[in-house]
Formats: sequence, structure tokens, C-alpha cells
Amino acid sequence: MIHCEGLVHVYPGGTRALDGVDLEIRAGERVAIIGQNGSGKSTLILHWNGLLRPTAGQVVIDGRAAEGQRVAHLARTVGIAFQDPDRQIFAGRLRTEVAFGARNVGLRGAALQRAVDETLDVVGLRGEADANPYDLGYSRRKLLALASILAMGTPVVVLDEPTTGQDAAGVARIQAIVRSLTEVGRTVVTVSHDMRFVAETFERVVVMGAGRVLLDGSPAEAFGEPAWPSLAATNLEAPLAAQLGVRWGLGPTPTEAGLVAALAGAPRARPADRAGTFGSSDPR
Amino acid sequence: MAPPSGNPTTLSEADRAYLASLAPQAASPYHALNPLTKAAIATIATLAAFVLGGYVAPLAILTVLVIPGAVAAGVLTRLTRVAVLISVPISISVALVSVFTRAGATVLFTVGPFDATAEGVDFAGQIIVRLFVTAMALGLFGLTTEPRAFVVDLERRGLSPRVAFAAAATLETIPLMVERALAIQAAQRARGLDTEGSLAARIGGVMPLVGPVILSSLTEVEERSLALEVRAFGRPGRRDQLWTLADDGRQRLLRWALLVGFILVLVGRVAGALPALP
Repeated sequence: MIHCEGLVHVYPGGTRALDGVDLEIRAGERVAIIGQNGSGKSTLILHWNGLLRPTAGQVVIDGRAAEGQRVAHLARTVGIAFQDPDRQIFAGRLRTEVAFGARNVGLRGAALQRAVDETLDVVGLRGEADANPYDLGYSRRKLLALASILAMGTPVVVLDEPTTGQDAAGVARIQAIVRSLTEVGRTVVTVSHDMRFVAETFERVVVMGAGRVLLDGSPAEAFGEPAWPSLAATNLEAPLAAQLGVRWGLGPTPTEAGLVAALAGAPRARPADRAGTFGSSDPR
Repeated sequence: MAPPSGNPTTLSEADRAYLASLAPQAASPYHALNPLTKAAIATIATLAAFVLGGYVAPLAILTVLVIPGAVAAGVLTRLTRVAVLISVPISISVALVSVFTRAGATVLFTVGPFDATAEGVDFAGQIIVRLFVTAMALGLFGLTTEPRAFVVDLERRGLSPRVAFAAAATLETIPLMVERALAIQAAQRARGLDTEGSLAARIGGVMPLVGPVILSSLTEVEERSLALEVRAFGRPGRRDQLWTLADDGRQRLLRWALLVGFILVLVGRVAGALPALP
């Protein structure tokens, strides 16, 4: 679905944000891209809908080279929900805001209405369809911005820091949305600093540093102990569940459910031993 | 860093060096001039060009007051480009209106019901020269002065911190709004807004950009104000400045000379004692 080959991007000031990225994302995958600020994550995703163009290398979207295709055309395949909802919300009603992108990609009449209603329902804002977006709090405006991308029905949905400002219920809702999207064959890619969200929600993790792909694997591989030096190289830490699994000798447990299952199956340690390990000042 | 003692003589060398590092770094001797001096040059050049009129006087002002400064600052090429970009759209409007609506005896040519007169061409030419001198003078100030340096200097001279903040926020908001507008445009294009298509599509795409730019700018100004208030911005009483900008007797003399010179020109023109140059 997304194919990047030897992708290089140098900004006008001379910053080499991407330094030869090779990446293949297949249809229906759930992929998280992680890395410290400046590692090239956002630069990479902006190539997928043509907002940035490669300095060298190529991007192929759904079998067609992105080069030469207009942003408005690529947006029919790749929908990107940006981090800050206030940089896109302009309409006086939620319904109009959500309809904007869907109309731009060609939906009209009943199909448009259905897409708007369904996505507002998915993000839990159907009851406020006629309210002003600025009557909502930040976290719900973020869900509104997400809805406006979902309504476009693009085969690829890219979410830039979707959990920022969300409480536990908001994160759970976003997790459910991500899973439901891939159940119907849509591809979901996120850029996130929320390692717990990444481990719990995505089946593939791409670690970036200095404009390159440092690691590419399952959450168990990306957050397992052998990967920790690579994570540290880009100022990241494995989620707590993964760290505890390693400390307690349970193997890779990137998710909390995995940790609990491993604990349930592990030989029962003496409480004092376990408490001692948990309280250790050395995380490694 | 040592806690503030209220007495600058107790600062260590390291503290002084640190405070000096906070001041904007000057790229050239012209950049290093006190902001008020640069503002005085820009203002007097602009006002004098309009008061004197004609072609010779504004161009002389440009040659004497603006171009040497631009050369010294190393920004002449960039300044000229900026001034042309600013003055051309206004000049076109001025030329169209003046050439065809200015009454005159010498008709050059006719377009429909409108006569293009030589007097109209002359009037437009004079206005365009003044606009260009204004753009060059104000552009030189803008390219060589950091807004925060100007505001800090005005505050040192007794301007209310609140007024100074309002001025700084206004000046700094412009580049921030441009940056934000680009980010907003990217977000709307990601939702299929066609900014590369026909003219009609581009015009239709303006509304989704204007709303977020204005709203987010207002929000940002509010957040900046609150951030300042929580750091005791509104506290009454005298305050010290971490850094100040150099000013000296020669610059003060130059400012007074510019002011007195302008007043003499103004009085001379009003009284009719100063002949109009071509």
C-alpha cells in the first residue's frame, strides 16, 4: 500500500531529515512509527500525501508513484489527522467540519450524510453534531479532527500523536477505532510518543533515528531487551510492562495483558523476592 | 547564576557574560545601532519623502538616508526585492486610478470613457516613488531590527510594559501567523482541499484557512498573556532589565539632527519658503 525506497529529504536550511528510508507497509496493517523529536517521523508521513516531495528516492502509494500526483488526489488514498486539531477546524458546526474532507474526496448526498453520521458516532460526538466545535474541550476537538479524516474513507489513515490530551476513556476509544479500521481492511499508521498506546494497539513498530529506520518488528521485538540500546539511541524507553517482563525474567511482555498472562503462567515467586525486584533502582 | 541582588555591581564576570549573551547579536554595525536611531531614520525618511514630494527629493532621501545603511548592513539586494514586492501591487492600483481619473489638459490615449492624461501619469509616478522610498526605509528598519530589541529599548525609555508587550506581540505575531497559516494549509490539503487546481478552487479554499488562522492567533495571544501574568508581569513598581542596548552621544545627536531637519523642511514647505523640486 505504501512503498518508500531510498527516501531522502533535505529541508531548505540543509537539515537532512530523511537519510535513505526503505519501508513497505502492506494493506490492512497497523503500524506505529516511533522516535525522538527530529528523527524524521513527521517528514516521512508528509511524503505520503505529497505535502513534502523527496529530495531523492521514491514513494509509491497504492501502486502508483506519488511524484506528479497532486496533494488533493493523494488525499483520496492517504488521510492524515494532524496533531493539533485547532489547525484544521474552521466550520461552525461539527457536522459541517466532518463533511469538509468527505466532500473534497467526492462524497455527496446520502452517502456524505451517512459518512458524517457514522464517523461522529464512532468518535462519540453524534449527539453534538450541530454544536460549535469550539464548545468542545481540546480532547474532544481532537476526536472531531479524527472523525473528519475517517469520514473521507481513505484506505490509509495516518494519526499524528492521536492520544495527546486524551484521558483513559479517550485512549480506549482511539484504540477501538484503530482496531475497527483494520478489521475492514484499512491501513492505520500512527506517529506517537505514547509507548503504552503503541504496544497495546499496533502489530508492527518502526523505530526511527536520525532520518533512518533503526528497527522494524513486532512490539515484542521492538520493545524486547535486545532492542533497548536502539531505543535508547533515539531517547525512547520500552513501556513499563515490557521492562517489568524483562526484570522478572518473563520474556518479552510489551502489553499489560501479556505481562499478566506471563505472570499467571510463571512459577510463583516469593512475594519478598518480587517486591525486591520491583523496587530495584536499576531499571535494566 | 547568582540570585538577583538589586545591585548590578555585585554581579560576577560570569553573570555579566551570561546576561550579555541574552542580548540579540548584531550582524553588522548598522544592525548594532540603537533601535530608536533606526526607527528615527525610517520615520524621517518616509515623512520627508511625502512632505517634499516630486521625484528628486525622495530619491535624494533614499540615496542619503537609506541606501548607505542597507549597504552597511549587507541587505541592499534583499531590501530592494522586499520593497519591490511590497510596492508593486499598490503601485499598480495607484497607477490605474491616477492615470485614468486625474483631470488634465494633455490626453495621452483613451480607453472607453476614460482618458489617460499626462498629469495623471506624473501624479502616479510621484506617488509610486514615495511608496518605494517608504517601503525601502521601513524595510531597512524591519530587516535590521529584532522586534524584541525595539520593545526592550522603548521600555527602558519609560514605555509602559503593557504597551510594550502589546507592541511586541503585534510585531511577533506576523511571522508566527505566516508559519501557522502554512501548517493550517497543510492540514486542509491533507483533507483534500485543492490548492493546486483552478482559480475557482483556490478561492473556494480560502475560508478553511482564514478561520483557523484567526482563531488560533487569538488563542495564542491569550495564552501568552496568561503565561506572562503567572510570572508576575502585572506587578507594580520599577523593574530591572536583563540586557539593554547600546546608545551613545553620536546617535542621540543624529536623532536630534534628523528631527530638527525634518521640522525645518516641514515649516519651509508650509510657509512656501522651500521651493518644490521636480
